[in-house]
Amino acid sequence: MVLRKARFKHLMMFILPAALLIAVFVLYPTIRTITLSFVGEDGKLTLSNYKEVLTSKDIVDLRGFERGFPFGALIHNLMWIAIHLPLTTFLGLFLAVILRNIKGGTIIKSIIFLGMVMPMIVGGIMVRFMFEENVGVVNMVLGVFGLTTQTWTAYPESALLALIFGSTWLWAGFSLILYSAGLETIPKSYYEAAQIDGASPVRMFFNITIPLLKPITVVVITMTLLWELKIFDIVYVATMGGPGGASNVLALQMYMYGFREWDFGKAAVVAVLITLSTLVAAVPMIKSAGDEAE
Amino acid sequence: MRKLLVLMVILLTVLTFAKITVIVPWSGAELDKFLPVISAFQEKTGIEVEYKTYRAEDLANILPAQFAAKKAPGDVIFMWTSFLAKNTANAVELSDVVLPSNYLSGALDNVTFNGKIYGFAYTAKVKPGFWYRKSFFEKYGLTPPKTWDEFVLLLKYLKQIPGLKAPIASGDGVGWPLSDITEHFLITFGGPELQKDLIEGNISWKSYTVRKAMDKLTFLLKQGFFSEPIEWTTVLKQWWNGEYGLYFMGSWITGMVDDPDDLGVFSLPGNQGMVFGIDYAFVPKFSKNIDEAKKFVAFLASAEGQTVQVAQGGHIATVLGVPEMAYPTVDREVAKLLIGVQSLNDLDDSIGGLWQPAFWDQLKLLWVRPERLDDVLETLEEKMPK
Repeated sequence: MVLRKARFKHLMMFILPAALLIAVFVLYPTIRTITLSFVGEDGKLTLSNYKEVLTSKDIVDLRGFERGFPFGALIHNLMWIAIHLPLTTFLGLFLAVILRNIKGGTIIKSIIFLGMVMPMIVGGIMVRFMFEENVGVVNMVLGVFGLTTQTWTAYPESALLALIFGSTWLWAGFSLILYSAGLETIPKSYYEAAQIDGASPVRMFFNITIPLLKPITVVVITMTLLWELKIFDIVYVATMGGPGGASNVLALQMYMYGFREWDFGKAAVVAVLITLSTLVAAVPMIKSAGDEAE
Repeated sequence: MRKLLVLMVILLTVLTFAKITVIVPWSGAELDKFLPVISAFQEKTGIEVEYKTYRAEDLANILPAQFAAKKAPGDVIFMWTSFLAKNTANAVELSDVVLPSNYLSGALDNVTFNGKIYGFAYTAKVKPGFWYRKSFFEKYGLTPPKTWDEFVLLLKYLKQIPGLKAPIASGDGVGWPLSDITEHFLITFGGPELQKDLIEGNISWKSYTVRKAMDKLTFLLKQGFFSEPIEWTTVLKQWWNGEYGLYFMGSWITGMVDDPDDLGVFSLPGNQGMVFGIDYAFVPKFSKNIDEAKKFVAFLASAEGQTVQVAQGGHIATVLGVPEMAYPTVDREVAKLLIGVQSLNDLDDSIGGLWQPAFWDQLKLLWVRPERLDDVLETLEEKMPK
């Protein structure tokens, strides 16, 4: 009994500081945000914030399906995920595999990783200039091939895509580094055995590399998803969600509700939406971590 | 004893030389033109003035949180009057140092609430119209247009000049350069009353009057007479170097070019009103140097202080008693355009809130997709404060 009490005391000593920090900096703000999302202008509990936000054209604008951008921040976030997620994941994997046995591969990887090290605000400004008509590197390349040049972030049809492609450059370093580390953990003997059995490099890639990189892929996908859902800084500095809301995203809309309209109830609703989405996205990672522990 | 003496001297020095912080919206060349005013004040009073640059858009985010914590980032803050109107409880009343009798009629209307003055009007800038380089016009034998048809003809002529990217340069950034052009069209083709009605919310953005004025603008946009929106200081240099023919900008442009004497300006033919953009400021209640801040306010609200500012170019005094000879030549030309036209408040600064960034953003869309005018007007109507 005494031993059990002492053990409990020891456990508490280790758990309490972390638990306290989580309670103050995670639990309290989360609960406060959730309750705030149900408080109306008159201070009474209501669902009106949810009704207003979910029916707002800033969040979902179905007219976009007839006339083009904007589609609303929520759909823009989904588009971001649909394009950016596979692009960065496959690009990172592809680069990790081809740079694995190349001389100077580490230096190239470090250069690619620079995009990740850079503050995203700076990254956003660079993305803006990359797609600018007069000084942008993208237009310089297009010009060489005689293709149309324009400020891609200025047009509703291309603003969001420009930001997505620009951020692919910034984020690809993340998946590249994780996949590079993952590749080092695969024993060379597997490939040697497969080679003796006459397997082609393509077969080895699909039957050995990809399955053994599954835990890494789960982490890459989850972390990228979380990043995409809370994307803010790049959009804020590059386009401010424009033109005409064509590149607006949820986090920017939350900022607008909160700090331009000073309507914290509506801002809290968007925060809850983002939190719920990130929870859904985080489930595979948590499950995968659990499987590994078993 | 000796140590105590040294300590006393240090303490006295600190107490004698008070220091205040002024928050200004200017940077670069615009800020350089304000520094002589600070120097003149420091020389006169011995009060040190530190300046910090914050855009009004950023202050709109920062100040409410600061006020809630009973703090202020500066002792004198330049800010929109639409913001001040909602924050008089956080501002010091300045009725004792800002006297309406010293001012041009109506200059203090926007900072007077329930008969009390909570801010002050510094100098003003006007948004007179399209600027051109006199040497450029002389080179091609051009003259400022007197009618709408002549204006369109001028733009058509400019469009076919080899090497010119577009007849009119469009400034971008946060978005206000596009809103200034749009307001000029609204005032010219809808009349000065339209500007006032839009500010007051007395007329719909989908009304015939607005539509008629905006149609004139979209006609020019569809013809490709305007460039894409480009960062306004970058495009200013490009326009000055001859890559564009005209540039719509406020009168502060005269302080931003190498040779202000080469500048010419014309309003849209038939224009009867001009946005008179006064820079307003206030003293926050949470300032720790209210007395010194009030002395600075009194200086900026005096003919003495504003004379120093207007001499730098690009500014127009709002107080009485500033001699005409204090203005550079080009500013006196701008002043001529003001004769017989109504001075008006800035549209988006006056409405403020979430509508202002929405207005800027919608205009960015209109600039590249003028055929979506209906969408733009519908959104602007939806976003208007209820």
